[in-house]
Amino acid sequence: MIKLVGQRAIASLLSLSVLMVMVFFLSRLTGDPAALFLPIDATEQMKEQFRALHGLDRPILEQFGLYIRDVLHLDFGESLRRARPAIDIVLEAYAWTLPLALITMALVIVAAIFLGSIAAFNVGGVIDRGISVVSLIGASAPDFWIAIVAIVVFAINLAWLPTSGVGTPWHWIMPVGILFIRPFGLIVQVVRGSMLSALSAPYVKTARAKGVKNGPLIFVHTLRNAMLPVITVIGDQAAALLNGAVIVETIFGFPGVGKLMIDSILQRDFNVVMAAILVTAIAIFIMNILIDIAYSILDPRIRQ
Amino acid sequence: MTLRYLLTGALLASAAVSPALAQDNTAITVVLSEELDLVEPCMATRSNIGRVILQNINETLTELDVRGDAGLMPRLAESWEDRGDGVWRFSLRDGVTFSDGTAFDAADVKHSFDRVFSDQITCESARYFADTQLTFDIVDDLTIDVTAEPAQPILPLLMSLVTIVPSETPVEFVRDPIGTGPYVLSEWQAGQYIQLDRRDDYWGEQPEVTSARYVFRGEAAVRAAMVETGEADIAPQITELEATNPATDFSYPNSETVYLRVDSADEPTSDIRVRKALNHAIDREAFIGTLLADGTELAVAMVPPTTLGWNGDLAPLAYDPDLARELLAEAEADGVDVSLPVEIIARTENFPNVTEVAEALTQMLSDAGFNASMRMVEVAEHEQYYSKPYPESEGTNLILAQHDNSRGDPVFSMYFKYHSEGTQSGIAIPEVDDLIERATAATGAERDALWSELFAYVHDEAVADVLLFHMVGHSRVGERLDFTPTIATNQQLQLSEIGFK
Repeated sequence: MIKLVGQRAIASLLSLSVLMVMVFFLSRLTGDPAALFLPIDATEQMKEQFRALHGLDRPILEQFGLYIRDVLHLDFGESLRRARPAIDIVLEAYAWTLPLALITMALVIVAAIFLGSIAAFNVGGVIDRGISVVSLIGASAPDFWIAIVAIVVFAINLAWLPTSGVGTPWHWIMPVGILFIRPFGLIVQVVRGSMLSALSAPYVKTARAKGVKNGPLIFVHTLRNAMLPVITVIGDQAAALLNGAVIVETIFGFPGVGKLMIDSILQRDFNVVMAAILVTAIAIFIMNILIDIAYSILDPRIRQ
Repeated sequence: MTLRYLLTGALLASAAVSPALAQDNTAITVVLSEELDLVEPCMATRSNIGRVILQNINETLTELDVRGDAGLMPRLAESWEDRGDGVWRFSLRDGVTFSDGTAFDAADVKHSFDRVFSDQITCESARYFADTQLTFDIVDDLTIDVTAEPAQPILPLLMSLVTIVPSETPVEFVRDPIGTGPYVLSEWQAGQYIQLDRRDDYWGEQPEVTSARYVFRGEAAVRAAMVETGEADIAPQITELEATNPATDFSYPNSETVYLRVDSADEPTSDIRVRKALNHAIDREAFIGTLLADGTELAVAMVPPTTLGWNGDLAPLAYDPDLARELLAEAEADGVDVSLPVEIIARTENFPNVTEVAEALTQMLSDAGFNASMRMVEVAEHEQYYSKPYPESEGTNLILAQHDNSRGDPVFSMYFKYHSEGTQSGIAIPEVDDLIERATAATGAERDALWSELFAYVHDEAVADVLLFHMVGHSRVGERLDFTPTIATNQQLQLSEIGFK
């Protein structure tokens, strides 16, 4: 197990290095931050001054060398626009994104596994059809539209919840709810399909013949064997949430990393873009290692 | 039983939310469309920063009256006098203190300008003094002489663009601005809100609003909903779609002018007949009340009608596609290749329905015989087309752009847009350069007349571009407030102008 984790960590480190080099050079091909920071009628002298202050007037290889030197000293540079350390801005945003992603995925996993398993066990029945319809609607629902409708219904008409913001637990209900819908719809379908295969396996028939009750049959014997493809999809969906949820963050004024990253890319705030991608990539690599560990726990053959 | 639990839960939820929605009677919440990157006084001319700090935390020496016709009014300067040879003397208000308790004096004025012109930080307000060298001589604590080289006849107006900070302010961007204004920044939770509280020791009249919390929501529907539910009191920017409640929603000229910048160095737009054809090909009226809000006005100048020198005699070139085709045919007969591509380059999210406006403009130009196409680009790419040096193109690019001037004087627009050295100018005409230079140096009635003459020349003689619309903005103001947005609401939101019903 330790060897597996070590191998994955080394591979992740290499991938991360390549990613950072690519982002550094590609982002600098996309335009001049001085033109975006300064007003349209700023003089060329002001633009040159801005570039000189931020080292953007130096050859790109020199900029890269300085960046690497600073990163090795854990200095990720200052935001060009906010005059603050880029890593501080990113970590502040991540402090909002991480709980949002974790809460959402925890709810999704519990609900999708439970309902997907029930649907598979009652295949073709009313419950199965109901769960399938709801999950397909969820998987294909445009979250932008649902978010606006949710605000109209729950904040304006019913006045149960605040429209947006992050002040109290009530502020989290709609963002989590909206983010829940799509991965839930997708994972329910995967659980259902995977469970259908597992339920037709000979050992299930044997267990039934031995008189094992439905609950233990589904959730003890079958589910573990059906979980491998489900975990893959859970990892994929969790990675999307760790990247931030731009639409939900924009609509609900949630100060997460997704909107920060998009804004920073549009504003060519290079240091924030680099720091955000670094932190996000590390989070995703850690999650991938956890998924590998989960695989090996669920299926001992992988350990060998 | 389950239903009962659910209902009970819902009631508890709504009860728990209610206290969060309740507000002090004199505390307000303002919902803005984007968070501030900085709360830096020398960046107050940037609209999202200006709305929070301009005249609320940090004040200027002078102030332009946008609600009445008082023109330039005293703020931290009580009076000013032109002493000739480019020297202006400003007499400063006595008894003013900053929120840190230090007294305001002439040294603070000098230091504020030193920061603006420093090469250690890039202050936005420096652009208004690009070709002017300023020297500050402190006469006494409350008197300062400012020498402009070359002489700057509108220096007192330019003073309305630079905020004053204490001499102790470091020459770097600050996060806790200290000012002489009626409010002090008491809390800034990045990503969440900025809180301003009223000062007890403000030199002027105490405003009614005791505190203001600024929150940020990118979606206009949410901003409008927040005012509707009472979570916020003012949403300065909503769209026409949301502005449906006459009791709370205002529409007002927002000082933005939309136009197509034409590069007259390119074929075929180097020929004035082709530029006239562009103007005649566009049915401007058709946009108003459809793609653009009711109240939008047809533009005949780069600045809104409230600006000095406004020329009321000008009228937009009439929509006449037949005449446009005739003009193109004439130009073609004289050897102009009118089949060259004419591409409209527009910026995504520049203003509501910008894509549809660009599509309609393209179709109108095509109908009149132009080889027209369009391209939507994001802000950085748009800037590359909008400002010199312009990229090479086959045919010509028409840049769909929006320009803001709520400052009351054309000097903030005309040099950049029409002088041959202007960074976004599409023309190089000596008569225009001369008029701009003379108008910039003139004062009083002469200045007014020269700007007026320039507007007419650019519009009728040079046909420099395709002026389209003076835009309107929409705001939602909670019913408990006594506040009417103005043309300046795009740039600033003075809390002292807000009252309660």
